[in-house]
Parts: sequence; structure tokens; C-alpha cells
Amino acid sequence: MMTPVFNDWKGKQLDDVLLEVRDLVEDPDMLTAQRWREQGGKVAGHFQVYFPEEIAHAAGMLPFKMRGAQLEPTQADSRFGSYLCSIIKTSLELCLTGRVELDMFVTHPICDAARNLAPVFGRNFDYPCQILYLPQNPNSGHSVQYLTDEYGRLQRLVEEVSGVAVTADALRSSIRVFNENRRLLRELYDIKRETPWLIAAEDAYALVASAGMMPREEHNELLAHVLPLVRERDTKAEDRIRVVFEGGFCEQPPLDLIRMLGRSCYLVDDDLLIGLRWIVDDVDTAGDPLHNLAYAYIERSSYSPVQHDLRKPKEVMLEQRIDRARADAAIIAAAKMCEPGLEEQVAYVTALEKRGLPHFVSEFEENMTSFAQLEMQLDTFMENLLFA
Amino acid sequence: MSITAGIDVGSTYTKAIVLEGDSVIGMAMKATGFKLTEVSEAMFDAAIADAGISREEVQYTIATGYGRHQCKVKDLAVTDLTAAARGAHFFFPATRTVLDIGGQTMKATKIDESARVKSFRLNDKCAAGTGAFLEKTARYMGFTTEEIGGLMDTSKEHVTISGVCAVFAESEVINHLSQGTSPADIMQGSADSLSARSVQLLKRVKAEPEYTLIGGLLRWPRMVDTIAGQLDAEVNAPAGEMVQYTGAVGAALLGRIRLNKLAEKDAVEQTA
Repeated sequence: MMTPVFNDWKGKQLDDVLLEVRDLVEDPDMLTAQRWREQGGKVAGHFQVYFPEEIAHAAGMLPFKMRGAQLEPTQADSRFGSYLCSIIKTSLELCLTGRVELDMFVTHPICDAARNLAPVFGRNFDYPCQILYLPQNPNSGHSVQYLTDEYGRLQRLVEEVSGVAVTADALRSSIRVFNENRRLLRELYDIKRETPWLIAAEDAYALVASAGMMPREEHNELLAHVLPLVRERDTKAEDRIRVVFEGGFCEQPPLDLIRMLGRSCYLVDDDLLIGLRWIVDDVDTAGDPLHNLAYAYIERSSYSPVQHDLRKPKEVMLEQRIDRARADAAIIAAAKMCEPGLEEQVAYVTALEKRGLPHFVSEFEENMTSFAQLEMQLDTFMENLLFA
Repeated sequence: MSITAGIDVGSTYTKAIVLEGDSVIGMAMKATGFKLTEVSEAMFDAAIADAGISREEVQYTIATGYGRHQCKVKDLAVTDLTAAARGAHFFFPATRTVLDIGGQTMKATKIDESARVKSFRLNDKCAAGTGAFLEKTARYMGFTTEEIGGLMDTSKEHVTISGVCAVFAESEVINHLSQGTSPADIMQGSADSLSARSVQLLKRVKAEPEYTLIGGLLRWPRMVDTIAGQLDAEVNAPAGEMVQYTGAVGAALLGRIRLNKLAEKDAVEQTA
């Protein structure tokens, strides 16, 4: 029986719990992965955006989301071209510097840079480094079966690394744990949409991000403790502009940037770490669990610039997100050097201009530290809306 | 008539204003210190008490200034630029350029006839362009901030303080003192230096008349005269303490605009 890897919040007041979660998420030492390994646990590192964590969880591994970190990629820089985004460098840097020790690594062909991460990791580490080929064409009638087979391949790799045979029942049990987590995360986003003054943008983000760093049972306990306390808060509702943030599906803006955004407006919905919230409803537990996971990926999922489903035009999905959140405006961001993100900006902006919805276009980088200019621009944008 | 409040949480002083219509009915000011949430709430309550009303009677509150986000009693936060523009326009409707010199910042803002910000420039991150420069100069010579105005008023001769750097200025002050220069002349020399920087900032924003000067430093009439002289133009400055309260007044006025907009929105929604 493993002891919890993140106990630091227990017995503390809500504000202190949230402080602990923010500290955990910002700490490039990724303490939860270290604590897991110290107990003999194995870690399955998976790169952004989506990974079926249930499969690693069912084998008793810690699925660990590799989402970069705020650190200087001094070693990883030599493994990549300068024209590439930051997250692939800092994700490798986490491992090269020994901050995160993995037992396997999985990436996805979401872009050229991410696709090449598996061979780059493979040249530097002895553990298996694989590409999980999520279907490029989700509209094919065969995509669910294809993905079920691909998940089967992943399951065999997980079994080989963990030394644990993943039974259907174990997988169903993991799906239940993750269904509960998805429910709690939806509840968190309900709070953001309905009563955004009750939780700061950076706190909501840190709560989501911490999901990828600890066993989901622990994360469920954390959310189940925090969310009722958040709802009970006596915080004054302010007259801020309601905004949807789009552009955080892969590389993550630094917490300070999210804090700054949350000061200028209410971030009522976003695509930050969408992979952790990719499946928008419960995954069925009856029947073949791998098929159910594959079905949910295709049929019960959100959207992002790295999945190309003709039934879900991204700009239409963004407008739906805006409508559901009753947003007054949108921030259309993209990480620097992120081809999928920058490409999608064009479609988003075109749709919002046609609709006449005010929007603020910007770029960010996970290692940026100066926000004064951006804040001034954003405040000016908001004040134009408030006092027009 | 609507009652709105503006709280300007500045780096040096926190000011709160309560407006009923266009009339100031309550005001309060205190050194900001380090507890921004507490001081903003305390000044809000003090201004309300000064107005003889209760919190519930205030229909909308806007916070501005560098500590605006720490204010918990606000309905909204706005930038210093927007609040200052609105406040300056309220006192002098023909204002097209606002110069705001506070304890730690200097801002030049061009505005249009509706008080909307057209462009702006901020001082470099350097104390030599702010009130801190004068405060340090006064402190070197053993005077308090409140004595600056009186010192400048008694200056008789012009001395040059380079003003390139507030730290290096200390050695200049010591040199002048060792040569027998009077503290009043040194103080005025520092004010001249600061004024020169403010005029440079105004040029960078392509300032146009009318010019309205606001902020803590402008509470000393000699400072207003010094800038007017260097700018070689007539300038406005709100009377008395209002020169310090302009941002708070602007915030309260913006609160009224927002209040009206929300009422319009409610009316539209009810009609629909």
C-alpha cells in the first residue's frame, strides 16, 4: 500500500490548501513523482495533450503528465533546434536533470516537435519511449476499433514495464476513479462559470494541474475537500468582464500570467490542460474497458487544435464554449513557436470577428517572467469594453 | 442621485472619495503602508463616515492605483491612467494631456474630448522621475516630506542637481551642502530636475494643451509653477487636496458610468 504523495494540504484552512497546491504545481522538482518512486512505485510519463491514464493507473503506475516547467532548459537546449517551443525542451530537461525519473515515456504525433520527442527521449534514456498514435481521422468508421487496438498495444507496454497484468476489472475500477475525477473537475468548472469570484483563476488552474501529478484517488480526495469550501466562501462578486481563454492545450502559461489574467477579468472557461478534461462525460464501465476508453476519446470529448474531427470545427466549439460560459470576450492566445496553436488562432479570430465578439490576441511562453506590458494591454482592452 | 466611491491605492497614499452625483460628499486619505487590503477598506469606511452614509448606500465602488487588486470592497478595478484621465477631465473638461506624478511613478497621458486615453508614457523604472527623488533629497538634508513645499517656497538661488539617478544625487546634495548652499535651494534644484524629466515625458507622448497636473507632488504650488515654467505653457491643477484625489474622483465617476450601463442592460433584459 503506497502512502499518499501529497499530504501537505491536510488539516489546513482553504487558503493554505490552495497555497500548497500552487506551490506543488510551480515546483520544478515535481515532488509527487519523487515520493512515488521512493516507495518503489513506477512512473509513466506522458506528454501533452491527452493520454488514457486509466491504463497506467490499472497497472499500479503513476501516470505523470509531462507539461514542461518553469526552468531554464540548459541541457535540453542542445537536443533541439532553437525554433521549437519551450515545453518540449523543459519536459526533457526535467528528466535530464533527474527531477523526474520515469519508467516509460509516451508522446503523441500532435505536432512535429512532439512526435520527435519519443526518439529524443529514447536516445537519452534506457526506458521504453513510445508514440501513442491517436487517430488522425476520428471521422472514420474504424477509428474506435483502431484506437482500441492502439490502447491494447499501450496496455502491453504498461504491463511489461510495471510487471503487472492489467485485468479488465482493474481497468474498470480505474475508469471509475477517473470518472469521479472528471465529475469533480466539471464541478470546479461549474464554479468558474457560475460564481467565478469564489475561486481565483490561478487556484482553479493549480487544482486542475495537480491532477496530472498524483494518483487520482488522492486528487479526488483533494477536490472533494476543497470544492465545498470554495462554494462556502464569502467573496464579493465584482463587475468584471467574463472571458474565455483559449490557447492553453499544450504549453502552459506560467501561473503568474494566469494570476494576472484573473485580476483583469473573470476567466469563466478555458482550454488550459484540456487533456485532463478531454473526456467530457463518464466512460462506460460495462463491457470492454479499452473499447469504452477509445469510444469516449472519439465520441465524448472536447476539442483542441491537435485533433481534427470534422464534426467539431474548432471555431464552432469555441463559440459554444463562449455561449455556455456567457462570456463577454475571449483571449485567443498561443504559445510561442506552437504551430497548431498559431494556425488555429486564424480560424478563431475570423469567427469571433464575424460574430462581433471582442477578443484579445496574444502569445505566451512558459518561461516568461515579465507581464507588465501585457497587463497594461489587457486592462486597456477590458476598460474599453466596460466604459465604451 | 447615485452614490459611488473611488479608492486610489497609491504607492505612497491611499485616497478614497464618495460622490453623490457630481458632488464630493466624503473623502479620506492615509499613508498606504504595507497592508493594502486593510488600508483601502479603512479609507473606504472613513470616506463613508465623512459623508455620513452607510456602506449599503454606496452603489458602486471602483479601485485604482498600484494596489487596486488588493482592495476587497471594490466592484471593479481600473488602471491609474483611465481613472486619472476621467478625474482630470472632470475638473478641467478641456484637458488633453494629464501629467500624474506620484510617489513612485510618473505618467503622461493624452486623452480625447471624452476623457478616453489615446496614448501614454510611463517613467522608466527609476526613482529619479518620481516623488521618491524629492523625498530622498529632503531626507538627506534632515527634512521630512511635508517640509518639501515650505523649503521650495523659500528658495532664492538656482542650483543644478543632475537628477540622472536618485542614488547618485545624494553625493551632489552633500557637495552642495559642503559648499554652503541652502537646503531650500537644493530642494528647488531637485524639483527643477524632476520637472525637466516630466517635460521630457510629456514630449514623448506628444502632449497637447490643456495640460492638467495631478498627483501627490503637485500639492506643492511651487512644483506646479516649476513644471509650467519648464513647459512654457499654462497648466491646470485641481485646487487644494483635490490634486491628490483626482484619481479617486475619476474612479468614482467611472463607477457612475458603469452603474448606468448596468441599469441600461437590466432594462434591455427586462424588455426582452
